[in-house]
Amino acid sequence: MRRRALAAALLGVALIAAACTSSDSSGSSSGSGSGEPVTITLWHGYGKVESPNGQINHEALSLQNQIDAFNASQTGIRVEDVFCCSNDNALEKLTVALQGDLQPDVTYQYGTSMAQIATAPGVMDLAPLTQDAAYDWTDFFEGVRAAGTIDGKVLGVPAQVGNLAVIYNKDLFAAANVPEPTADWTWDDFVAAAKAIEDPSTPTFGMAFPADGSEDTVWHFDAMLWEAGGDILTEDNTHAAFNSPAGVEALTTLQTMAISDQSMFIDEANSKIDALFNAGNVGMVISGPWAVSGYKDINYGVQVMPAYASGSHQTISGQDFWVAFDNGSERAAATQTFLEWLTAPEQIQQDSMETGHLPTRSSIVTDQFVTDFNTKFPGEGLFAENLNNVQKARPALTSYDQVSQIMGQAIVSVLLGQAEPQQALDDAAAEVDQVLAGG
Amino acid sequence: MATVEEATPSGPSLAQRIWHSDNLAGWLFVLPAVFLVALFSIFPIIWGFILSLQKASLLSPIRPFVGIDNYTKIASDPHAITAARNAVVYTFLFVPSSIAIAMFLAIALNQKIRLIRFYRLAVFIPVAVSTIATGVMFLWVFDATFGIANWALGQVGLGPFGWFNSPQGALPSLVIMTVWGWLGFDTIIYLAALQGVPHELVEAAAVDGATRWSTFRNVTLPLLGPATLLLVVWSTISAVQLFDEVYFVTKGGPLEHTSVPVFYIFKLAFTSSFGFSAAGYAAALAYVLFLVILGLTLAQFWLGKRVVHYSS
Repeated sequence: MRRRALAAALLGVALIAAACTSSDSSGSSSGSGSGEPVTITLWHGYGKVESPNGQINHEALSLQNQIDAFNASQTGIRVEDVFCCSNDNALEKLTVALQGDLQPDVTYQYGTSMAQIATAPGVMDLAPLTQDAAYDWTDFFEGVRAAGTIDGKVLGVPAQVGNLAVIYNKDLFAAANVPEPTADWTWDDFVAAAKAIEDPSTPTFGMAFPADGSEDTVWHFDAMLWEAGGDILTEDNTHAAFNSPAGVEALTTLQTMAISDQSMFIDEANSKIDALFNAGNVGMVISGPWAVSGYKDINYGVQVMPAYASGSHQTISGQDFWVAFDNGSERAAATQTFLEWLTAPEQIQQDSMETGHLPTRSSIVTDQFVTDFNTKFPGEGLFAENLNNVQKARPALTSYDQVSQIMGQAIVSVLLGQAEPQQALDDAAAEVDQVLAGG
Repeated sequence: MATVEEATPSGPSLAQRIWHSDNLAGWLFVLPAVFLVALFSIFPIIWGFILSLQKASLLSPIRPFVGIDNYTKIASDPHAITAARNAVVYTFLFVPSSIAIAMFLAIALNQKIRLIRFYRLAVFIPVAVSTIATGVMFLWVFDATFGIANWALGQVGLGPFGWFNSPQGALPSLVIMTVWGWLGFDTIIYLAALQGVPHELVEAAAVDGATRWSTFRNVTLPLLGPATLLLVVWSTISAVQLFDEVYFVTKGGPLEHTSVPVFYIFKLAFTSSFGFSAAGYAAALAYVLFLVILGLTLAQFWLGKRVVHYSS
């Protein structure tokens, strides 16, 4: 009896030990012997190709097909793709992986994380690739390139780009007898339209705004700030500049809709906007190309951001990158070869037409492309052209998230009627100055 | 009787003694669990303490030691003070209300009425529902414009309230949501305790001419003491460690009115919203939180010994 118990216990220990070690063997097989291909790992957040209910995920499928095509096209490199996590958690996952020295060769990351990623050990400088004339780095949109370059180091090549425009419900505009937005409309037009559409009896809001104080809140404001002629920080990134008259003008526009007109739906958890817009309870949202596929139940249109009387139509771009880590010279070289292929014009154009992703290279955005793109993905053509309205980028600083957090609180405090625009921005500016001074 | 083996110069070796020990199989059986506890609890506790003495970002390997700086700056951190104040308010609202309502429900569910099993199940179901599902539901129930709560209150002439959108209302809304979510657990504990109240004591009180209220007050309530102590301790610990609901539903907002310690620690360690190299500071805060919870629990047990006269 005792022997049998002992044997069972030993078996249990052996099983646990086996379970704990088996994960190693598959991860580190980066075949270095002759003939064996070099295996590199790519982390993405596009999800599984096929969801449990049988729906095809076109983003995941497109990436999968491209990787398969690359693997089939040569024998020296094998790329393995791993659905690591939602893109929102990509930085957290990478952080944890780095603790165990288990970082992938390539990982999908948000542009706003790049300054922090710059401090990680082993992150590759892709300058040798981007300096290669054949790669034609300047073909990528300027704002996109800037966001991936920290202190002269190219820490990522563009994976995706988006920008903000106004998406509006055509039926609600018609019902309220408001003319649909045009390419030269102004913020006064926007505010007036929101007020006309607002109707508490249905209830219908003129517009909806993400008010969780996150970067999503802040970048909506950034675009308006730039249109009004302002800047987030001073040129040398040492002081806050958003409490300028331009900043107050932009925030007052939001305040008018939130407080005086009550035409704004304030989404405190940033989780209801898409559902309400798709249900026909909201006239306008300011969002990006990723959102339109969710608006299946309404008749929508897309227009560029309104301008202020004094300024131009601008927008803000959000870009995501393929970031590479150096896991030994052999894998690093293979990684660079693969990224060069993945971000070549043919692959980008193919991916755009498959998924509706905006092209990251300007040479792709021809009139013919915009027409084809719009046919396949209604409304997306405008987002592709809107990339040309990106004139400024958010500052690439390790303290940017802190700046954003402070600005987010200031914006929300005005939307909730807790503060006036000038006071809120001045207080936030003082806090930001302290952060930038290293306090 | 055993012989005196220590006297013999060459007894069995350590390995032999282990091999022949009656406890060997037992130790081997718990070894995997011990290993996992060590890996996922003890190691992080030690590593967290080391981290709390460093200025560290989890991304970067450069982590200079800064001594107790991380601990000394807590008192002057306005975000930490806000989080602590919110935790105190939340705990004082959550613990008494959840326990009082649970006791009331347990008494109601201890009656011999039809469909009692259905009612008991209905009370317990929210505990089994995932926090995320609860969160999605309450975000809409408490929506200022589209929510059923404002509609129902409007029917009796109350409101409308801002709920999660209002700086004053967000924390109480969170209390309502979490009390709803955890009520079933407290109720089951009380129900079990109520069914352990000896019937002859209640009968004896009735024979002595006690009213129902004084029977409850003088017989039942004291006998529920151990269960109450357990629930007070347990609810306080979970109230101070509140995280999931805040992370999903309010994200600490609006304007930090629902920012609580664990949420703030999470933001410090895993985001850069409150500073880029703040993981060490987050670890220090976590240690302080641990000591606070330890102190609270010891104080409650100490107080409990003086108030609760029956052990379970």
